[in-house]
Amino acid sequence: APASTCPSRAAPSSFDCGIHPAYSGMAALPYFDEIDPSAIDVLLVTHFHLDHAASLPYFLEKVGHHVVTLTCGGGRCCYAVWCLNLLCSALLCFCLQTTFKGRVFMTHATKAIYRLLLSDYVKVSKVSVEDMLFDEQDIIRSMDKIEVIDFHQTLEVNGIRFWCYTAGHVLGAAMFMVDIAGVRILYTGDYSREEDRHLKAAEVPQFSPDICIIESTYGVQQHQPRHVREKRFTDAIHNTVSQGGRVLIPAYALGRAQELLLILDEYWSNHPELHKIPIYYASPLAKKCMAVYQTYINSMNERIRNQFAQSNPFHFKHIEPLNNIDNFHDVGPSVVMASPGSLQSGLSRQLFDKWCTDKKNACVISGFAVEGSLVKTIINEPREVTLANGLTAPLHMQIFYISFSAHADFPQTSGFLDELRPPNIILVHGGANEMGRLKQKLITQFDGTNTKIVSPKNCQSVEMYFSSEKMAKIVGRLAEKVPEAEESVSGLLVKKGFTYQIMAPEDLRVYTQLSTTNITQRISVPYSGSFEVIKYRLKQIYESVESSTKEPDVPTLIVHERVTIRLESESYVTLQWSSDSISDMVSDSVVATILNIGREGPKAVPIEAAAKTEEETEKVVQKVVYALMVSLFGDVKFAEEGKLVISVDGDVAHLDGRSGDVECENAALKERVSTAFRRIQGAVRPIPLSAS
Amino acid sequence: MGTSVQVMPLSGAYGEGPLCYLLAVDGFRFLLDCGWTDHCDPALLQPLARVAPTIDAVLLSHPDMMHLGALPYAIKHLGLSAPVYATEPVFRLGLLTMYDYFLSRWQVADFDLFSLDDIDAAFQNVVRLKYSQNHLLNDKGEGIVIAPHVSGHLLGGTVWKITKDGEDVVYAVDFNHRKERHLNGTTLGSFVRPAVLITDAYNALNNQVYKRQQDQDFIDSMVKVLSSGGSVLLPVDTAGRVLELLLIMEQYWAQRHLVYPIYFLTNVSTSTVDFVKSFLEWMSDSISKSFEHTRDNAFLLRHVSLIINKEELEKLGDAPKVVLASMSSLEVGFSHDIFVEMANEAKNLVLFTEKGQFGTLARMLQVDPPPKAVKVTMSKRVPLVGDELKAYEEEQERIKKEEVLKASISKEKELKASHESNAKASDPMVVDASSSRKSSNAGSHVGGNVDILIDGFVSPVTSIAPMFPFFENTADWDDFGEVINPDDYMMKQDEMDNNMMLGAGDGMDGKLDESSARLLLDSAPSKVISNEMTVQVKCSLAYMDFEGRSDGRSVKSVIAHVAPLKLVLVHGSAEATEHLKMHCAKNSDLHVYAPQIEETIDVTSDLCAYKVQLSEKLMSNVLSKKLGEHEIAWVDSGVGKVDEKLTLLPPSSTPAAHKSVLVGDLKLADFKQFLANKGLQVEFAGGALRCGEYITVRKIGDSNQKGSTGSQQIVVEGPLCEDYYKIRELLYSQFFLL
Repeated sequence: APASTCPSRAAPSSFDCGIHPAYSGMAALPYFDEIDPSAIDVLLVTHFHLDHAASLPYFLEKVGHHVVTLTCGGGRCCYAVWCLNLLCSALLCFCLQTTFKGRVFMTHATKAIYRLLLSDYVKVSKVSVEDMLFDEQDIIRSMDKIEVIDFHQTLEVNGIRFWCYTAGHVLGAAMFMVDIAGVRILYTGDYSREEDRHLKAAEVPQFSPDICIIESTYGVQQHQPRHVREKRFTDAIHNTVSQGGRVLIPAYALGRAQELLLILDEYWSNHPELHKIPIYYASPLAKKCMAVYQTYINSMNERIRNQFAQSNPFHFKHIEPLNNIDNFHDVGPSVVMASPGSLQSGLSRQLFDKWCTDKKNACVISGFAVEGSLVKTIINEPREVTLANGLTAPLHMQIFYISFSAHADFPQTSGFLDELRPPNIILVHGGANEMGRLKQKLITQFDGTNTKIVSPKNCQSVEMYFSSEKMAKIVGRLAEKVPEAEESVSGLLVKKGFTYQIMAPEDLRVYTQLSTTNITQRISVPYSGSFEVIKYRLKQIYESVESSTKEPDVPTLIVHERVTIRLESESYVTLQWSSDSISDMVSDSVVATILNIGREGPKAVPIEAAAKTEEETEKVVQKVVYALMVSLFGDVKFAEEGKLVISVDGDVAHLDGRSGDVECENAALKERVSTAFRRIQGAVRPIPLSAS
Repeated sequence: MGTSVQVMPLSGAYGEGPLCYLLAVDGFRFLLDCGWTDHCDPALLQPLARVAPTIDAVLLSHPDMMHLGALPYAIKHLGLSAPVYATEPVFRLGLLTMYDYFLSRWQVADFDLFSLDDIDAAFQNVVRLKYSQNHLLNDKGEGIVIAPHVSGHLLGGTVWKITKDGEDVVYAVDFNHRKERHLNGTTLGSFVRPAVLITDAYNALNNQVYKRQQDQDFIDSMVKVLSSGGSVLLPVDTAGRVLELLLIMEQYWAQRHLVYPIYFLTNVSTSTVDFVKSFLEWMSDSISKSFEHTRDNAFLLRHVSLIINKEELEKLGDAPKVVLASMSSLEVGFSHDIFVEMANEAKNLVLFTEKGQFGTLARMLQVDPPPKAVKVTMSKRVPLVGDELKAYEEEQERIKKEEVLKASISKEKELKASHESNAKASDPMVVDASSSRKSSNAGSHVGGNVDILIDGFVSPVTSIAPMFPFFENTADWDDFGEVINPDDYMMKQDEMDNNMMLGAGDGMDGKLDESSARLLLDSAPSKVISNEMTVQVKCSLAYMDFEGRSDGRSVKSVIAHVAPLKLVLVHGSAEATEHLKMHCAKNSDLHVYAPQIEETIDVTSDLCAYKVQLSEKLMSNVLSKKLGEHEIAWVDSGVGKVDEKLTLLPPSSTPAAHKSVLVGDLKLADFKQFLANKGLQVEFAGGALRCGEYITVRKIGDSNQKGSTGSQQIVVEGPLCEDYYKIRELLYSQFFLL
């Protein structure tokens, strides 16, 4: 799997699923082991893919495609390109039965057609019941899980934003733009830059993506201009029917078929002399899907919408559906569009067998001719063909090959990339040779522009690194003043999706739906002594013990500006504080102190102690310092002015008992003495307010 | 600083007038809706007229008269020239509504406020957006993103979100939170704390809750009348609520196998339904689901006949039938005529499904008790005959002559001017082929000589030798012969398309139904004759609320849920506005404004913001906790400044300890369950939670109310005991401590 890298968390999303109808059962999913469906968050399906004609192993090599997974986890982001073609939506149905738990998105039209297409697939596939990947019930269930997205609509899942652009190609086809933490990835799927009769050309996104994953089916080839193709098409048909011949157009049921029908209906409208010649489309699936085409007019181009203002262009005036060959009265010239496009079986083959020997008749091949199919054989106009019943018949019928494939050709691809200018291009979906040639041409085109072009093989990883700049928005009261350099900013960092905000805790409720909580605690402690004793004891521990005079009747103390103690009655006091790790600690010490007073007995205030002078206090402190220093260093002597002389192993330190200054030649000793002094000071004096 | 935001109602404030508001976001002026009443009184648009030329963008929210009726007039006469933004259905159905209105009006009056061409011109430049499409504005609006969101009420109905620098201004009027047959409920509830919410108080006092039963009653009351031989008239809008009514009737007609004919009669009914059929993407999930599964378009109406004139109805005579006819105000249109016909038959029923606009016939009939008789003006457009025709023709002749005269005079002047300039530029006798060819190619007005040929020969006074223009075709030659332009010989790609399109005509006009088109194209001179008459109202009248708006209670809960920082109330009767204002103002930290018409209020948020870059070093040390969709962490950082760009770096010194923050929301009931699971005895007593024997936990203040910005206050109380610390521990575990 080719992988590219961009920052941040695990948020894989995946584009498209494909299945190979020539294989049945699990064999159709050769690369399924490569990704873990449960790790995918979002699955984006670009379009219902149609070329499910005769698929041969050759095809598998030639046109690979359709599952591109984009995993972005722990600073990595990878794309797995699955070499699966055809019916891309089918795998999805299968996926939904597995451990896949993400969300699936596709456009309205794609979803409506997906349903019909898969039901049809289930009906026509001839595999045994055990080998079926899914049945009708699974399809119906999957419909409930698929969410719809309209063109340009921006959706967000787990912080991944994505939206889609018109891709041309078929009705409802979309190109997805995915934005993960500011890195934009465009996946074109199958696209066409040429506006046709009913579809818009693929849009060029407003912003350039960082990575463009682009299809390369047609490589460096160039299409004939549309009007030339259309003229060849209508001329061939007109000439044949006016000479009394029949025209067979083998075509796949959906996609280009509708375009051809529009061309024919318009041509017939403009040529009254043809009105007596019937046109049929013989595909039950196309007939069913016609309602979808008649409805999702707004996904089509301006032309169709303008026509719609008059009458629905998909209500054909000259074309009728044909259910089966028995209803078909083959009495004169006619035009029949029949599926499958490969002429391998079905109605188109029946008509071909019937008409191929008459040189008045014609067969117009409009789609991609798959190698090995009958269509490919007759393009070379052999003398004889083998009929479905095994007999050989001469081929007299005229054969026209006019491709109406709606994939981008080289001028379109090159023009698209030139407008978009993505710094990274990943080529997918194309034969190895064609892709190689395209890569060479693009490298020449973007020479000197620092554009990286890669064409990974299936299951080959491509890694790309993007240094992302994380930006945060500082909001609310924190932002009242923009700080200068060297100042500090503290607050809550809130991350939602890939956006960051920094705010004061008080603003949390303003900017998010989260709230902060304040827990007030009130505890009553039994105490029957004098309130003054509590005050005295606490003053020894805390520097800040203030009496509050708010309520004169109730003696109140505020300790360390956090805990309020009230003497509620003779027998108990209450403590009240607001929860915080420090306040909880202070309250615990207060509770312990009060309980100790109760246990120790003397409930009177030692008046003389309270009356101690500052000087006496200082003396006590000096004594304690001295005693502790002795216990630490042994040889400690008093010197003048409250200085202490400490001798350890011949080194002498002079400590100033008031300021804590240490004079010593031995740096290690000096450090030890000064640390010891600092700690002793912290222990002998009450806890100052600022230390919190 | 925050984004500066001002709001000024131009109409529809403290009253039920049409909606039209001016919103300025950092100087970029939005016109929110551009409504008019069915009376089309230009006096109502005075405030708009004063500001119209300064508008930078117009946002439309619903496709009905009240929200976009004045658009053609404002563009034609008031100098409104800003781009208009709307969703596809609002654009299309709005256009049809205006057509219908114009045609209804034109048939009964010499309506000259705007023409069909003006309507087309007004809608031609509408930029069509999808729901949740983020559209970036350019130039003056750089940095502003507008996005339409689902509003319910009408198809394509829009709640507009205007975002600048992460601050949202939301304009949500006439939303419906309830899912209906054809529409999803509004997504307004998903917006979280927008800076400003502009909403209406229209339904603030209306607490009627819609019930399933209402559909039954609706059908029953109609069936009762029909089965006794009467007919039912439903005055409806052109393309709004009528869609829901059609679906209700379709459903019940099918369920109950009813055979009474239903007619949907507007000037544009067929095209309305055709377009609506192609708007499935915009409808409710159930409609698109049924289409995906069965390809059954809900608007493929089986029981309703779409008609665009009364001929078919007249054929039916007195037979029982249901007629849905526009306009809902009964002022003009088919509903007006049919009402007059049906009113004096007691067996008939006129069923109103929405509150009539103020001062209209519909509103008059909705009072209780209804008036016994009403005065109406019956008007009809008839072709001119006899003397009148003659007089008209003479008048036309005279006008034509005057015009010709005027034209010739102006042409003379023009010619004079052009000759003078020509004379200056070159010798008049030498025809400069290249320059005249250029000018004629460009269709330039300087080419007075071309005009001469077309409009008859008028000899200019100053001309010396008037002559027909002559171009000499000189061909360049080179070694290979005449030089050709290869393009002339190329097959034009568009040619075929053009040929194909010929039959299709101009699509912009939308589809005008044939008879209406005939009516308009038929330029035969006609006049309007009116006679006033008094209609005895004998038929029964009924009103059932199918307006599809959230009722008062829901509006309040939606506002509380969205919890805007500032709320602006518009469009609602004075009582309703005051009521909602009082209600919302109860919430202490929500600022509520209800401006009068032409009163500008400043709702600039006082929230500040600036951007910083987060350095990798800082982020690698941040440990965040996941809380729902948010991840939260405490950061201490130092600020680095490079070229005015701020970067947060790890702090240079140990930061001061901060007061711990408890993040989370505690529900006492949940906590009770939690404690019970831990084997503690808990019970509620007097609003507090009693844990064990002595400890109580309770919340104080009403900060648990939504929209409040204060912290939640919890008090834990009890005597010193082991349980106390145990419960405190458990309580802490319910929060994130930062």
